[in-house]
Amino acid sequence: MSGSIVQGFDQIASQRPSATALRWRATRWSFLELRRAIAAVVKSLDRIGCEPGASVALLVRNSPQYVALYYGVLAAGRVAVPLNAQERSSVLLRQIEHCQARLLIGSTDHPEWPALSTAAAEAGVRLLAISPREDDTALEQFERDLGAEGDDAELPVRNTADLASIIYTSGTTGRPKGVMLSHGNLAANANAIIRYLALTPADRGLCVLPFHFSYGNSVLHSHLLAGAELVLEDNFAYPHLTVQRIQDEGITGFPGVPSTFALLLARCNLGDYQLGSLRYLTQAGGSMPRPLIERLHAELPRVKLFIMYGQTEATARLTYLPPDKLESKMGSVGMAVPGIEIDVRFDGRSQPPGEIGEICARGPSIMLGYWNDERATAEVLRDGWLHTGDLGHRDDDGFFYIDGRSVDMIKVGAFRVSPQEIEEVIAGIAGVEEVCAAGMTDELLGQAVKVTIVRREGAELDERAIKAHCRQHLAAYKVPKQVEFVSVMPRTSSGKIQRFKLA
Amino acid sequence: MADALHDQIRTFILENYLFTTDQAALGVDDSLLGRGIVDSTGMLEIIFFIEEQLGVKVKDEEMVPDNLDSVNRIAAFVQSKRLAA
Repeated sequence: MSGSIVQGFDQIASQRPSATALRWRATRWSFLELRRAIAAVVKSLDRIGCEPGASVALLVRNSPQYVALYYGVLAAGRVAVPLNAQERSSVLLRQIEHCQARLLIGSTDHPEWPALSTAAAEAGVRLLAISPREDDTALEQFERDLGAEGDDAELPVRNTADLASIIYTSGTTGRPKGVMLSHGNLAANANAIIRYLALTPADRGLCVLPFHFSYGNSVLHSHLLAGAELVLEDNFAYPHLTVQRIQDEGITGFPGVPSTFALLLARCNLGDYQLGSLRYLTQAGGSMPRPLIERLHAELPRVKLFIMYGQTEATARLTYLPPDKLESKMGSVGMAVPGIEIDVRFDGRSQPPGEIGEICARGPSIMLGYWNDERATAEVLRDGWLHTGDLGHRDDDGFFYIDGRSVDMIKVGAFRVSPQEIEEVIAGIAGVEEVCAAGMTDELLGQAVKVTIVRREGAELDERAIKAHCRQHLAAYKVPKQVEFVSVMPRTSSGKIQRFKLA
Repeated sequence: MADALHDQIRTFILENYLFTTDQAALGVDDSLLGRGIVDSTGMLEIIFFIEEQLGVKVKDEEMVPDNLDSVNRIAAFVQSKRLAA
């Protein structure tokens, strides 16, 4: 199946109108109800006068309303820009301005909404506030908020090559970096995932991953396009409640990042639950330590564990390790997903098995480029390949392995964090002479942020002041876990700070 | 209600997640998840704090919002566990 993501959804909604598409708290929306909500968004955008092709920023947590807004923006021929719900308003405002959003749609109960909506309005961005209900009046309230009612007509058909969504990811320069994805990119990746996970309408996934993040986004699209049901969970703070839900609600699939599974195994005795419905687990968002993979596999031997690798620039998924190869190819991220070609390249040439090079990819899910940033686009999209910035190799059987990252980037949980972004924020504190951020090993998250600071003479700065400032200006996961004060930074002979020595 | 236990819990959260000594920055009934003060790993750290600093073992089935989502709830949970011990 090809085409656009909206078209794919519309076909499924016609085939399975009464089947449940989404569940969140006490809200349950069928495919037909979701389509009606999407149609209401399309009408509302036309009524508001937001012009076709304009960017629409979304500050809404995972919920059926978020899904309707995302698909509605796409169906209406506008560009959806899902904002990181954990981020601070100052960072989000920069993204809104960067993508030249004409409209900001936000949930009134979001803690950043008051500050962000005020600042966005001052910048000339129109606002639409919604109050997501979580019961059987959710659809009515949603239509009231939108000032439009949906109908059962087919959704507008969109060109697969058109820009559908911009997802912001951390850039190495600390500037906003918006990954542009087309309608065709989204559909191609979702369909590839459906194929290798063998998703069917009989599946019921449980999603704790945020949709603004490419992994969560791909879980959403692959379930909707497969006609499967997706159960939404707000957070993963109480792992045993999530496992209980997998048991009680007959969940068949559970996607997570390494820290999800680390938390699960740290606090739950999986043997105490009846998890017979669970068909598979997927893991992406950074490499999972081998002992954790082995423990997970040992505790749930009958559940298929898919180890995966990908990048927002490739929509989401690039490779997967077939579960039957988990033991024989331990440590590998597997093979290319359907439709994608992967190569290990160095100096413009493909590398033979065993040789390390840069992981490169091409195929229908590779992004259009970075929004309004031709230079950054040209750096990663060249010679017909997406250059991932990850170093790796392949073995004699064609299985790929990741050996490191060629550009400085800290991976906290599954989030990419730019050291420069942290450094810029800390450099703004009076009394900081010099600052360097690097990744430190963290048992649960894989990495956490560590900063090393040289104080100005006479400055009285302590760890708490640094962290408090970061907490004010950065998402919580970007706040340094460790702050070290030094008198001089280690440097190369050319004067460049040796970041690796500070990790 | 403010007592030594409440203060100890509140101080831990203020110091580790809000990086301040200003007690007014956190109400005793504020939802730790709802206000975005802690995430899933932060909640695990709070459980370690309860177990190691407050000396109360938290069973898997006790890891629920009713026991852990605010200063007051944590204090009530810890007190009830201490009484039952």
